[in-house]
Amino acid sequence: MNLRLIRASVGPALFIVLAVALCGPTASSKGLPIQDQPAVKPGVNEDAQILADFKRRVDEYAALHKKVEASLPKLSKEAMPEEIDRHQRAFGAAIGSARAAAAQGDIFTPQMQALVKTLLQRLFAQSDRRKLRESIMDENPGNIRVTVNSRYPDTVPLASMPAEVLRNLPQLPEEVVEYRFVSDTLILLDPQAHIVVDFVPRAMPR
Amino acid sequence: MLKSQRLVCSLALATVLLARPGVWAGQTTALPNRAESLKFCVLGDFGTGERPQYELAEQMAALHRKFPFQLVALVGDNLYGSERPQDFKKKFETPYKPLLDADVKFYASLGNHDAREQRYYKLFNMDGRLYYSFKAPKQDVRFIVLESTYPEPEQIRWLEDTLQTSKENWKIVYFHHPLYSSGGRHGSDLKLRETLEPLFVKYGVNVVFTGHDHIYERVKPQNGIHYFVAGSGGQLREGGSEANMPFSAKIVDKTQVFLAVEIFENDMSFNAISRTGQVVDSGLIGRQDTKGRAQSRSPGL
Repeated sequence: MNLRLIRASVGPALFIVLAVALCGPTASSKGLPIQDQPAVKPGVNEDAQILADFKRRVDEYAALHKKVEASLPKLSKEAMPEEIDRHQRAFGAAIGSARAAAAQGDIFTPQMQALVKTLLQRLFAQSDRRKLRESIMDENPGNIRVTVNSRYPDTVPLASMPAEVLRNLPQLPEEVVEYRFVSDTLILLDPQAHIVVDFVPRAMPR
Repeated sequence: MLKSQRLVCSLALATVLLARPGVWAGQTTALPNRAESLKFCVLGDFGTGERPQYELAEQMAALHRKFPFQLVALVGDNLYGSERPQDFKKKFETPYKPLLDADVKFYASLGNHDAREQRYYKLFNMDGRLYYSFKAPKQDVRFIVLESTYPEPEQIRWLEDTLQTSKENWKIVYFHHPLYSSGGRHGSDLKLRETLEPLFVKYGVNVVFTGHDHIYERVKPQNGIHYFVAGSGGQLREGGSEANMPFSAKIVDKTQVFLAVEIFENDMSFNAISRTGQVVDSGLIGRQDTKGRAQSRSPGL
């Protein structure tokens, strides 16, 4: 496995997990509920497998995103807001058609959802919990219904994502998808198409 | 002489200069307003569409009539809440219309509340890029604009290349998340500082502007670099700063503020101006060389 690739694509905490896994056959995450997980190869860390699977699913989405992008008129680098809005809506509709059968959990598999929750719990345990929560809730749009392929609501803000949270989650392909919180749900947002790609309900620790 | 000794000498000199009107922070230092100078403003965390933003924008327009600044550096959180076409109008185009009509260019960086699509917005002059640099229209100044929400390795490599190849006398970097801040909500981003500051020191960055915390703060020079937080361009967290931070030189957390800056040769003058038009902080910074030594007749702050 390419260590440089791993270092570039996951947060530091995850890198430690993987590094430990690569150094010996006994390393394993603690207490992660594993459901429907592919058979674990001997000597391979479970978290590493879940992350690799997540990366593969995100990469598949990225490939679709790029294919759809290539099929649309290119957005001018000197666009006015109306053009940006039109482009975004066209992009969202095209992605929605291309993955009409997509459902929650397609990218954040149950195993990955559990791992995300564990990573956030660890982060909260190590941080100023109140401050971190406040930072996440700053401009958080609150309880709105989130569904896969739906347009992120126009009338609510994009909530702040604290840098320390991002550093503890697997890195995403730049400009294709990003993490955001809606209430305590972690969503994968496609910022160009302005749609929800997948989500983890109740991801933020209480 | 060690850098710390130089700073002590500068501070001693500054104390002497305090008695001279118009030279030193603590008194209102007028901007020289020279014809050949680079004049610009710094604005952050502004796009609320609410009255305080509009009032501060009016002060910027009033300043422009007597101090014709060429550009505005936006340190992020350019639009709060929704980002529909009408929001761009209400939260940006309408309040700054007098400046836009006067051909003032706004160069944006993105904050944590900003959709990345803003980089395509013509009036933010980002040319579709999340991070970029540009040479100032006057004086020997290069601005370097970063994206600090997702500071990926590729950007850091680009930053190092850009700093290394930049030959301008003044290197000014701006982005959203502060490396030094007394803001009670967010405070200093230590991880980002760990990544960026060594590069800033190595390649002789002179001044860094940021936002994120909704206050105005001038930081004492750190490793020879001058840091400002200008995060109250519309938003304000009243009393939102923590007292007694050792690095803090001046905090304003009772009113919205923008910064007006003028660079002429080796001097950078600045005024922090409130929404009622008061100068709430001002001073003169002498350009440092790449080793942090002052190149100006003026003291470092």
